[in-house]
Amino acid sequence: MGAITTFLTRTAGSRDRADRFGIGDFLAYSYLLLGVLIILVPVMWTFFSSIKPERAVDSFDTRLAPIAQRTTDIEGIGERTIWEYHAEDGTVTEVFKAGPTRRITDVAPLDDPEAVFPAERVKLQPAEEIRVATENYLDPLLKRNGQENFLFGTYLYNSVFVTVAATLITLLINAMAAFGLSKYKFRGRLTFTLLIVATLLIPPSIILVSLFFVVWSFGIFGSLWGVIIPAAATPTGVFLLRQYMLTIPDELLEAARMDAASEWRIFWRIIIPLSLPALSVLAILSVIWRWNDFLWPLIVLISDPAKHTLQLGLTTFAGEFDINFHYILAMTVVSLIPITLVFVWLQRFITTGIATTGLK
Amino acid sequence: MSLGGIVVLLILVFWVGGGAVWLLRRRQYKANQIPRFLADLLGFPVELAQSMFGRAGVPYALLLPNMLIFGLFTFVPMILNFYVSLTTGSSISLFDRPWVGLDKYFEIFNCESIFEPKTCTNAGFNFWTGMFNTLWFVVIQVPILCTVALITALVVNKNIKGRGFWRAMFFYPVMLSPVVIANIWNWVLHRKGVLNEVVGGTQDSLASLAGLTGFDVVATVIFAVILMVVSERTLRSSDEPSTAWAAVFGLLLTLLFAWANPTSLVGLSGSLWLGAAVAAALIWVVASRQPYARIAVIGAGIVAVLLLLSIQFDAVFDFGRYRPINWLVTPRTNWPFFWLVFVFCWAHMGFYMLILLAGLQAIPRDLYEAAKMDATSQFRAFWRITLPLVMPTMTVVIILSLIRSFQIFDEVFLLTGGGPGRETFMIVQNIYEVAFTNNNPDYGQAAAGSVLMAVAIAVFTFFQLWLTRRQSDL
Repeated sequence: MGAITTFLTRTAGSRDRADRFGIGDFLAYSYLLLGVLIILVPVMWTFFSSIKPERAVDSFDTRLAPIAQRTTDIEGIGERTIWEYHAEDGTVTEVFKAGPTRRITDVAPLDDPEAVFPAERVKLQPAEEIRVATENYLDPLLKRNGQENFLFGTYLYNSVFVTVAATLITLLINAMAAFGLSKYKFRGRLTFTLLIVATLLIPPSIILVSLFFVVWSFGIFGSLWGVIIPAAATPTGVFLLRQYMLTIPDELLEAARMDAASEWRIFWRIIIPLSLPALSVLAILSVIWRWNDFLWPLIVLISDPAKHTLQLGLTTFAGEFDINFHYILAMTVVSLIPITLVFVWLQRFITTGIATTGLK
Repeated sequence: MSLGGIVVLLILVFWVGGGAVWLLRRRQYKANQIPRFLADLLGFPVELAQSMFGRAGVPYALLLPNMLIFGLFTFVPMILNFYVSLTTGSSISLFDRPWVGLDKYFEIFNCESIFEPKTCTNAGFNFWTGMFNTLWFVVIQVPILCTVALITALVVNKNIKGRGFWRAMFFYPVMLSPVVIANIWNWVLHRKGVLNEVVGGTQDSLASLAGLTGFDVVATVIFAVILMVVSERTLRSSDEPSTAWAAVFGLLLTLLFAWANPTSLVGLSGSLWLGAAVAAALIWVVASRQPYARIAVIGAGIVAVLLLLSIQFDAVFDFGRYRPINWLVTPRTNWPFFWLVFVFCWAHMGFYMLILLAGLQAIPRDLYEAAKMDATSQFRAFWRITLPLVMPTMTVVIILSLIRSFQIFDEVFLLTGGGPGRETFMIVQNIYEVAFTNNNPDYGQAAAGSVLMAVAIAVFTFFQLWLTRRQSDL
C-alpha cells in the first residue's frame, strides 16, 4: 500500500528528487489549474455561445449546450415559438400561444390553430431542441439575411496583406541593418546602434499626431501601405537579430570573401540561412504585432470600409449591431481561429523563442 | 498621382531596370540561376555600393532602408511633435499652421489646480482626467502584473509535469487581438452574462445552504477539523514547520479573519486586510525559519480557534438576494477600473512571464546546489539567490510593462470607451479623440498632450531605473 502511494504521488525528475507529491506540488498545480481556467473559460464560453441559436443568445441562456426553443411557421399567423402543454392526465401536446402571456394563457395546438383553449402558465414548458447554429457563421460570411455589411473576404485579404507584406519587409531590412551593425567596423556604428536602442524606448503612441502628418504628406494615408511602412523598421527586430548575428563566426565571411563572393551574396547565402532561428522568432513576433494592430490602423484606415483589416471590421461590426450578439460572437471566434491555429502549431517555437531572445 | 508615388515609381524603375542591366553586364547567369539573379537584384543597391566605394560603403547601404524608415517615421515625427504642439488650427498642411508658441500648453495648464481637473478649461479637464486615470492605472497595474508574472514564472519553473503546456497556456492570451479580447470579456461581463450567473448561483446556493438548521454547528466542526489537520501538518516535521502548509494555514486564517470581523469590535472595517497581514507575517516567520516559528504557529492556531468560535456561519453565508452587477457600466463602483486592470493582466501577463522565466533559467544551478549543501532554507535561497539574480530581468519587465500600460488604449476603448462618465478615460484616448474624432481636430493640443505624456513616461522610467540602481547597490 505504502509503495503504491509512493508510486502514485511521485513527481517528475531524477530519482533522488523523486519526492512524494507534497503540499508544495499541490499548491503549484492548483495555482496553474486556476490560472488556466481563468484563461480558457472565457474563450471557451465565447466559443460555446457562438454556436447557440439567436434566441438562446439573446435570452442569455447560460446552459453550455446550444439549446433553443423551437419555432414553427403557422399558416395565416406567422412564426411562433412552440410550447409543451402538460395536461392533468399526463398527455403532452405541442401548442403555441394564441394570446398574451397571463396566469391563464390562451393556447392552441399546432395541428389545429383554430381550437384555442385556456391553459395555466405553469403547465406550459418551452419545447426545446439542441441545434448547432451554423447560421451565426454563415450569414455574415456568405452575406445572407441582410448581413451585407461584414465584408469578411475583404477584411481577411487586407489583414493578410498587411501582415505578410509588413513581415517580409521587416525581416529583410532588419536583417540587413543587423548584418551591417554586427559584422562591419565603420564610422558611426556606435551612433547607429544607440539610435536604434533609443527607438526602442520611444513609445509609438506619443508620436501618433506627427506620424499622421508624415504619413499624410507621403500620400499613403488611407492606404494599406500607410499601416505597413511606418511599422516595418522595428528596433526590437534589429536588436534581436544583431545579438544573434554576433555569434556567427567571422571566419565564415572571410572564407567566402576568399572565394570572391560579393558582400550581398555573403549576406544572402551565409548570414540569412545561419540566422534562421532568430529570423523565425522575429517573423512570428511580427505576425502577431501586425495581425493584432489596432490603434494605428484605426486612425489610418477607418474612413474606407474597403480598407478595413479584420480587427477594424470586427470593431465596426460590433458597433453597428450592438444587439446582434450571435453574429458578433461568431465573428469573434472566426478572427480568433487563425491566430489560435498558428499558436497551436508553433507554440514551442514561440514560447522558447521569446524566452531566449526575450524582448518586445 | 502624389509626389510619394512618383518617387517610389522612379526608385523602382532605377532598381529593377538599372539593376538588371548592371548585373547582366557584369555577371553570367544560366537559365537555372534565375533565383540567384533575383536575389542579386534585390540586393542591387548593396552591390552598387560595394563596386563604387569598396567594402567600406557596404554597411551604410545595408543600414540605409532601415534607418530611412526609422528616420522618417520615428525620429522626424519626434521632432515634428514639438513643432506641431506650437501651432494651431485644423490644417493638415504643415506650412499652413499658424504659430502660437506655448498657447496649447497654457490651455492645458489653465487650471486653478491641476489636481482637480474640474477646475480646468475643457482642454485641461480632458487631459488631466486622462493623465490621472492613466497614472492610477499604471501605479496599480504594474506591481500586480509584475508580481503575478513572477509568481507564475516561479511556479512554471518548478519541477512540474507538462511544463511546456502550462507555459503555452499562460502565453495564449498574448496572441489574441484587443478586439477579440474585448468582445470575449464584454460577453462574459454583461449584466446577464455568465459571470453574474455564476456568482449569483453560488451565492444563492450558499445562502440556501446556510438557511438549513444546524448549518452553523456543522460548518464550525468541519472548519475545526480542517484547521486541526493543517496545523498538525504545519508542525509535523521534527525540526522546522513546513512553509507550504503554513501558506495554507495563512489562507485559512485570512478567511477566518474576514468572516469573524474582529475589527468591528472597535468600529473599524478592513478585517480582511488585517487577516491577510497576519497571514503574511506568519508565512514569513515560518519561511525565514525564525527560532520562534513554532510558537508563532501555535499562537496563530489559538487565535484561529477563538475566531472560529465567534463566527456565526449562517449569518456569514446569508448574502440575501443577489443583484446582477453591470460590471463595465455602473459608475462610482470602481468595477470598470478593476476589470480593466484584470483584463490587461489577463492579456499581457504571459509575455512578461516568459521573459522572467528566461531570467530564472539563466540562474546557474550550482548556486542552488551549494545552498542545499549548506542546508539553506528554500525561502532563504529565494531571497538571497533567486531574487537578486532575477532583478535585472525584473527591471526590464517593469520598464517594459510601465511603458506599455502608460499607452493603454485598445482594451479601454473597446471595453468601456472611457466610461462610465470619464472614470476610465485614458491619456491616449484623449490624444486620439482631440486629433482624430473631433469635427474640428486640434492637432496642436493633441501634440502638446503627447509631449507631456512623453515627459511623464520618461520621469517614471528614470525614477524606476534610479530605484533599482539603489537596490542593487545595497
